[in-house]
Amino acid sequence: MDDQLNFAPCGFITMDEDGNLISVNETLLILLDYSGEKLSGKHINEILSVPARLFFQLYFCPLIKKEEKVEEMYLSLTTSKGEELPVLINALRRNRNNASVIDCVLIPMRKRDEYENELIQAKKMAEIALLEKDKAVIEMEDLLQKIEEQRQELITLNRENQLYKENMEKELQLAKNIQETSLTEPISNEELQIDAYYKASSELSGDIYGFYQISRTQYGIILLDVMGHGISSSMITMSLQSLFQRLISRGVTGERIMKELDAHLHELFRNNADAWHYCTAIYLFIDTKKQTIEYVNAGHPPALLQAPDGIQYELISTTPPLGAFEGITFVKNSVEYSSGGRLLLYTDGVTDPLDVQHLPDLLMKHPSASLKELKGSILQSLEETESSYTENDDKCFILVDLK
Amino acid sequence: MDILARNNVKVKGRGTVPMLFAPGFGCDQNVWNTVAESFEDNYKVILFDYVGAGNSDLAAYSPDKYSTLEGYAQDVLDVCEALKLENVILVGHSVGGMIGALASLEKPELFSSLIMLGPSPCYLNDPPEYAGGYEKEELTGLLDLMEKNYIGWANMFAATVMGNPQSPELSADLEERFCSTDPVIARQFAQATFFADNRKDLPNITVPSLILQCTDDVIASMEVGHFVHENTPHSTFRVMEATGHCPHMSHPEETIRLISEYLAGDMANFEKKKTGDRV
Repeated sequence: MDDQLNFAPCGFITMDEDGNLISVNETLLILLDYSGEKLSGKHINEILSVPARLFFQLYFCPLIKKEEKVEEMYLSLTTSKGEELPVLINALRRNRNNASVIDCVLIPMRKRDEYENELIQAKKMAEIALLEKDKAVIEMEDLLQKIEEQRQELITLNRENQLYKENMEKELQLAKNIQETSLTEPISNEELQIDAYYKASSELSGDIYGFYQISRTQYGIILLDVMGHGISSSMITMSLQSLFQRLISRGVTGERIMKELDAHLHELFRNNADAWHYCTAIYLFIDTKKQTIEYVNAGHPPALLQAPDGIQYELISTTPPLGAFEGITFVKNSVEYSSGGRLLLYTDGVTDPLDVQHLPDLLMKHPSASLKELKGSILQSLEETESSYTENDDKCFILVDLK
Repeated sequence: MDILARNNVKVKGRGTVPMLFAPGFGCDQNVWNTVAESFEDNYKVILFDYVGAGNSDLAAYSPDKYSTLEGYAQDVLDVCEALKLENVILVGHSVGGMIGALASLEKPELFSSLIMLGPSPCYLNDPPEYAGGYEKEELTGLLDLMEKNYIGWANMFAATVMGNPQSPELSADLEERFCSTDPVIARQFAQATFFADNRKDLPNITVPSLILQCTDDVIASMEVGHFVHENTPHSTFRVMEATGHCPHMSHPEETIRLISEYLAGDMANFEKKKTGDRV
């Protein structure tokens, strides 16, 4: 080896194809703390760190065999004192003296190695951060998907709900029709004329009425208001209706009717305090021959009787509402009337939105108005005071012209 | 999925008996060029790259699947199935031999013989019974060396494997890659290879095998070669004059000769077996 190569500012080795060192220049020997020619004849593994021996077999050997050269391969050497020396190696396979040999240049790179280690460290940190970011993105996407699924679920539920609501409304409308069908038709003959107005709140009504001709000259009129409104109240009205219809038609006395209805309510809720409802009611028994009205008022707003001379009488309540207390004795009262008298029965849904005196005044002002006109006037008054409040209660009134 | 494209499968040769060459760790199917060519006259020669290596389809790489050697063994089975191969002679270098062995455990009926060059079932020392050759730190040092040798172009590839949605898939990069591939894939393959322990699998191998053991192989020592032979039923052990770990490249003639000799004997045995004689 000439001097220039021997002391070149880089390591230089020549080895055979099996990795046996043929020559090692002085520069490398000094770097590796070996003296003289101790290394030639030995395998390159002698100066490679253990990992580098593996790497050499895995990469250097196949590459030099196939590509005839190796460029910029990083390897770690071990000095005779066991210290590590990182080098960059370039190798070339060539034929010399009829033998295939491999020339290698080795550049120590301690400082660069430190720098690269730092770079690798930074790269690893960046990769971890990237992985975490990707993970976060995936988690977020999962979350978004879950939200979307929940949204879809809500939409489905909402649709089901809507359908349920529509069915329910249809059912309620049907029930309303059934309830209205149970109401009696207006009566109009030589002795009296009866007309009524009935309007449920947005749902079903807790009000119910009925008027019946008991005999040729006897009539029974009943008006009930079950506390509350809606499905539960309306069902109670229906059960009461079927009872009073039979009782009134049979000509049972007012006291007895009230007692039976009261007992019925107590019976209904005997074992079910949660469902308890009470009910106000007024029953009028009109005898057109005697021109008398017998009435029982159980907690109901007073009925108004207007004589032909315009004087008004209130048929006021004398007992508590039905279903309120057990063992009540219902007492009837009687009034006489003259031809041309007029009666108004109503539930509180009619009077609550109006001034207390409004209905008596209205009746007073239009003594000669027909029932139909009077009914129109009352409805007009109600419409004028229409509000969300009034919409929320059932309204019912009955007008009677006594002839 | 097109397995032939995925694994860059090349079928050559004029014979009918299939000879499937499985590369070892690190490089692609080109390592077999010289050896495989010599069998083209009499065999159907099949070369392939594992997913992640050589010119395989990197998009098919799955970090989960290829975190163990079984994933690579599935590549071997996939190639056999795609080509409808039977009675396959599998020639595997280094970890390629173990991958072939694992494939034969999965579907022994596919293989007629297993030729393993420098196999090792476990590279880690497990004292006192077993000397795989390496301590954990030394193998980790190898991973670090690999990392250092990828500096400069690592970023370009790393992004693909990590499935970073911001960087579109690798451009159709079909240039020769021989011993280089995505550093992340290479690292995972190295971990799967060098930290594997398949010692318990050896006794279950039913396919007759040939173990070719190099002299002075730092990766798979003579001791390890003996271990494989002693624990593998129906195995034949031949020590080569070749040194190093890549006899198929450094000493192709000897490699070809030993394989041919074995196959000649093995075929004779196979014929005997077929006629019902005892071997």
